[in-house]
Amino acid sequence: MNYSQDNLMFTQSEYNSNTDDYNNSVTPTPDYDVSAPCYHQKNQSLGEVIGPYVHSIICILGLVGNSLVIVTYAFYKRTKSMTDVYLLNVAIADLLFVISLPLIVYNELTSWSMGLVACKLLRGSYSVNLYSGMLLLACISTDRYIAIVQARRSFRLRSLPYSRLICAIVWATALLLSVPTFYFYSLYEPSHSEFFFDQDYEQETTYNTSEYVCEFLFSDNNTAWTIKVAVPSTQIAVGFFLPLLIMVFCYTAVIVTLLRAKNFQRHKAVRVVFAVVAVFIVCHLPYNLTLLYDTAYMFEQQLCEESDTLQVVKTVTQTIAYLHCCLNPVLYAFVGVKFRNHFRRIVQDLWCLGKKYIAPRRFSRVTSEMYVSTRRSVDGSSDNGSSFTM
Amino acid sequence: GKGGGFSGVILLVWADFCLFRVEISCLRNIKARGGCCLSYSKGKIPFSAIKGYSVQTVTGICPISAIIFHTRRGPACTNPGLDWVMTYVNRLRNKAQKVHRETSQAHK
Repeated sequence: MNYSQDNLMFTQSEYNSNTDDYNNSVTPTPDYDVSAPCYHQKNQSLGEVIGPYVHSIICILGLVGNSLVIVTYAFYKRTKSMTDVYLLNVAIADLLFVISLPLIVYNELTSWSMGLVACKLLRGSYSVNLYSGMLLLACISTDRYIAIVQARRSFRLRSLPYSRLICAIVWATALLLSVPTFYFYSLYEPSHSEFFFDQDYEQETTYNTSEYVCEFLFSDNNTAWTIKVAVPSTQIAVGFFLPLLIMVFCYTAVIVTLLRAKNFQRHKAVRVVFAVVAVFIVCHLPYNLTLLYDTAYMFEQQLCEESDTLQVVKTVTQTIAYLHCCLNPVLYAFVGVKFRNHFRRIVQDLWCLGKKYIAPRRFSRVTSEMYVSTRRSVDGSSDNGSSFTM
Repeated sequence: GKGGGFSGVILLVWADFCLFRVEISCLRNIKARGGCCLSYSKGKIPFSAIKGYSVQTVTGICPISAIIFHTRRGPACTNPGLDWVMTYVNRLRNKAQKVHRETSQAHK
């Protein structure tokens, strides 16, 4: 038994010492075309750059933006409308996402030093936040559609408890769709090479000495084939195309209604809608198309070069998709006049806190409130338009 | 008021934490990950060139099943659906069994 554990490779020297049957040292005629295992070199070196550098920028931007949204709701603006509830939930989903991002990068670079629980939790929460974020954006578009196009029904449908229920359903759906991710992601050494010494003795080799990965692991081939297609397919369908369809339908109706209305704010509103949809498409369409292509040809034979290029495209487009969670606070929250005013107050209060020991705080708070109220009266007319926004 | 400032502090701590993490990860080098067979070799490999074999299944990170023959010129991915591949596997397996028997007898 010692033998098989120490010498897992069936090497030429072992032939020599034990059996000489096949040790004829005939130079092999190259009448066959060898295909060797592929290591995705380009994608790995790209990952070394994108992982630590680009993702940390996304992380910091996302942290700042989404924290500001949450802080605003927590301390300055009570969640009064349905949109408020959605925006807060989007910010929470995006924040959780950008928090998990550096942890995933860190673990990928350190052979998953944080262990199996971190592996499942980080991959799972990534999936939950992806689904909830995307579905909530669809909810926001539906909310705006009801507010503007179905304005008569708006009061009944846009109640606060109703929106909290929808958010709960969204989070539950996201959790449910992430169950396979929680379940099948596992921590292991990708030593795909099993070496059979014996018919009833199967020994996993450490032939490819490699680090631990946190990836899908299945007990049998059929489950592997099913889940490897089902998970990305669901992500593309529910995590992209469904929200996209809802958004395109709702916002098209919104734009049509806005263009008919006589409101000098409408042009700004239309521009905001275009920006929201355009950014969504620019961020997520390339990644989802790549993912779709990858899923469709997953089990086909591929050339190493081509596969490597596809993985590079996937890494790049995924990073673009990640960028969306930094843009959401700008596109949804800070576009709103009210929200910007609250934001100004946060900046002022932070400023005041810094000056805590120099100037009495009550004084500056009065000035900040005066400032806000004057801004409000200037922008007062926008309240009509902001039933749409924010 | 108070809350805003407090959250600001948390935010800064978090940003610092992120930067710290980045610095750590920069210092580390990525080891090569286990490769996967993505296509099969064409033609039949002479048995004399083969030193051993491994099995690649779809249950892990790899997309296709394959038998990897370790030859003098390096690993060669082959299609487990082909007859000659499985014949080779059986021959290697028999040989391994023989080696195993001899070794375990020698150790007794």
